[in-house]
Amino acid sequence: MADTLLDVRDLSVRFETDDGTTQAVDELSFTLAEGEVLGVVGESGCGKSVTMLSLLRLLPPTAEVSGSARFGGIDLLAASSAQLKRIRGREISFVFQEPMTSLNPSFTVGRQVAEVLQRHLGYSRKAAGARAVELLDLVRIPAPESRVDEYPHQLSGGMRQRVMIAIALACDPKILIADEPTTALDVTIQAGILDLMRDIRDRLGTAIVLITHNLGVVADIADRVIVMYAGRKAEEAPVHELYEHPQHPYTIGLLGAIPRRGVDRLQEIPGLVPRLSEPLPYCAFAERCPRADRRSRSEVPQLREVRPAHLVACFHPGSE
Amino acid sequence: MTAPPPVLEVEGLVKHFHVGPQLTGGGGIVQAVDGVSLTIGPGELVGLVGESGSGKSTVGNCIVRLVEPTDGTIRILGTDVTHLSRREMRPLRRDVHMVFQDPYSSLNPRMTTGAIVGEPLRLHGIAKRRSLEQRVVSLFEQVGLRPELRHRYPHELSGGQRQRVGLARALSVQPSLLIADEPVSALDVSVQASILNLLRDLQRDLGFSCLFITHDLATVEFLCDRVAVMYLGKIVEEAATDELFAAPLHPYTQALLSAAVVADPAAQRARTRVVLEGDVPSPLAPPSGCRFRTRCPLAEESAPESVEVEPLLEEVAAGHSVACHLVHRQREAAQLLDLASEPA
Amino acid sequence: MTVVEDATDLLSPRARRRRLLRKRLARRPFALLGFAVAAIFILAAIFAPWVAPYSASATDFNAVLAKPSWDHLLGTDELGRDILSRIIWGARASIQAGVLATCLAMAIGVPIGLVAGYYRGWIDPVISRVTDVVLAFPFLILAVGLAAIMGPSLLNATIALGVGAAPGFVRVARGETLALREEDYVRAAIANGAGDTTIIFRHIVPNMTSTLLVQATVTIPAAIIGEAVLSFLGLGVQPPTPSWGVMLADAQSYLSQAPRLAVYPGLAIFFCALAFNLLGDGLRDALDPRTTR
Repeated sequence: MADTLLDVRDLSVRFETDDGTTQAVDELSFTLAEGEVLGVVGESGCGKSVTMLSLLRLLPPTAEVSGSARFGGIDLLAASSAQLKRIRGREISFVFQEPMTSLNPSFTVGRQVAEVLQRHLGYSRKAAGARAVELLDLVRIPAPESRVDEYPHQLSGGMRQRVMIAIALACDPKILIADEPTTALDVTIQAGILDLMRDIRDRLGTAIVLITHNLGVVADIADRVIVMYAGRKAEEAPVHELYEHPQHPYTIGLLGAIPRRGVDRLQEIPGLVPRLSEPLPYCAFAERCPRADRRSRSEVPQLREVRPAHLVACFHPGSE
Repeated sequence: MTAPPPVLEVEGLVKHFHVGPQLTGGGGIVQAVDGVSLTIGPGELVGLVGESGSGKSTVGNCIVRLVEPTDGTIRILGTDVTHLSRREMRPLRRDVHMVFQDPYSSLNPRMTTGAIVGEPLRLHGIAKRRSLEQRVVSLFEQVGLRPELRHRYPHELSGGQRQRVGLARALSVQPSLLIADEPVSALDVSVQASILNLLRDLQRDLGFSCLFITHDLATVEFLCDRVAVMYLGKIVEEAATDELFAAPLHPYTQALLSAAVVADPAAQRARTRVVLEGDVPSPLAPPSGCRFRTRCPLAEESAPESVEVEPLLEEVAAGHSVACHLVHRQREAAQLLDLASEPA
Repeated sequence: MTVVEDATDLLSPRARRRRLLRKRLARRPFALLGFAVAAIFILAAIFAPWVAPYSASATDFNAVLAKPSWDHLLGTDELGRDILSRIIWGARASIQAGVLATCLAMAIGVPIGLVAGYYRGWIDPVISRVTDVVLAFPFLILAVGLAAIMGPSLLNATIALGVGAAPGFVRVARGETLALREEDYVRAAIANGAGDTTIIFRHIVPNMTSTLLVQATVTIPAAIIGEAVLSFLGLGVQPPTPSWGVMLADAQSYLSQAPRLAVYPGLAIFFCALAFNLLGDGLRDALDPRTTR
């Protein structure tokens, strides 16, 4: 059994904005083991990105975060700024969706990779430059020695994303959090990035948290999957188990909604994702659920293990 | 009995954009679309698939005349619209409508959704006041929106609702052809499903033809009768949907299909992938001859002529066209074999 | 056919937007201060006949250059006129010039900018170059030059200021038009066969109002100062009509004896312009969807 790297308990995030308060995440708990690829799946507004950003205090000041997130012996949510600065980019790294806006257009790609090495690991300028070339090679950028002096706008979207990954990996982090890393990329480029991530996990042993709304991407590389809805965990299972025996009606709905050949109609989930201003005292999915009953509308379903290693928060779980 | 005229006939469409001098170098010509031919019959749903830089959106923009084609012809319901002036186009605009990708920017934030949906009706003088109101109400119902929502502004609606408004607007004057440019790409999966179902239902009820432009193969597989695959401004393969997905002939189509992820871990991980080398070449300087040769796993060894000679889109089986030297050669070889085996 | 639920508020869209704007402005004390002070000046200008203790030209040769007292809160000038009253009456010229000049600038600049941004072609470079040339002249020099040509009067000064400020609006309107043109809903309208007038007036203009509003609140203080300068130079308001600029000019000869003759109108110009500036800044921030508070 691999060690637990990250242990998040009862994480809640609220936003106080001009428009009112929003409960983005409600008492979410999950763990991440060494070398594991965890897929966090959900549609917009489910809180998946907010969850990860809150771990490293990357949310705007309007956010109120509570709960605990133990990593390397400290609680990330209670850590000091100095401690977080040491962890960000070094032990836990982020890769974002838009590689164009995540890279500084005024500096060469090599310089941006080297900067991380210099700042976090104290490399000299020369050593950092050499290591930068190695890292670009690691992320399979062809001819890295010449690419290193290019500017972001000279690279394609896929290349830029690889650079982002190189920057994220520069300090050999324990965890790589990738938030929709391939959503903005073409299909053929996406395949390459997924291959790369798999390679990283195999060769470097980095644990990866892959946040996405794309169930196909998750099917490709995740070991375990969490399905989120309205800030709560709806279902959690090893990947094969989830796709073969989905239990939560929302997961079943999501899988049924994927376009494919031969069906007359895709499965629709009526209604909309609720925008909550405070935690709902009952099942958040009840209004849209074909299995909802009085109990769903009056109690919050707790996570239960309904099959080996397979958790669901539902009063009426079961594959159809 | 003669077959009904095609709703859309595009022949040899070319669109080049002139780009001014940039930081990286002097100005140039973006060869966005370079010789695309396409026909859509009445009630047909045709998918136009391609990645970024393929020129698929430009094709759509040319058909709707948002952009003036550099060369080629576009015929809508038999009328040549390629170089018509704005005024001449106006009455013909009834027949073709467009649905856009971004549900947030495709609706004027300062107009109520009812006014937005009613605008085409008003512009074409089809209905006024009370009958207009009634028409708008029925359109809202047709796309599955409560008619009361017509008094709201776009920012008060969700992405899926806005997309429905966009559809209602496009269908308000009962066009013969709907151009849908990535209409569901910006939506969540479950909302996508409802819009796709809606599109399918509407098409069955109203019988319009549709050109569905997207990068997502799965949507095309679900919705379309025929598919055309584009790469760097050209169509590389075109076939009936079932046939294309079952037996893709062009190496790019094969790569595209194998790269698309499938929501089935066992199947997904068991697949062998065709991996394409390198980046998509810039449309400012597409490769000579076969544009795909720089990334094709087979070109260098098996098709040396692809450096100089461009493969033409030719029919290799009923309703199945491919633009690839290798495929053409194989077909010729097969034909020769057939000839050779025929009794003298 | 599935009927979709809606997720909307109960308020009407306009009321909601206004409430949001009010909330955001409320969080900016400087903007509120600017609003309050600007309001004071505007109200003083409008209600001058009732607010000012004396008329602007009432002379009192018994109390020449008098120090501030209960009779004359800010003292009197060289002709015994009450300074406070003259400042209040002078606000009329300033606010009038400020607001009307800005309106004129908008009326001239926005259509030109719209045409340049919408039709592009050959007319855009022409308009842009001409605008650039005009903008190269410092606004005040331009206004002074125009006023000198037209002859001194408040009306001519206002016109000169309006013309001088127009290029600013040309630039803003052109920029907005260029951006809005590419919005999908404009393309949809074109694809639907909408004519140019419909597109411009229904789709483009309504969506640039907030930017224009911000430009206006920045132009007004410039015009106020401009009027003061023109009147100071004798090119604007003619006596006996009071104006802060004229007061400044008259005060020159008495600077050693009674500096307050210059200080009070000077402060009036300063605070009035500052108030509009702060208000404009705050509005710009509050209207910008990217700022979170």
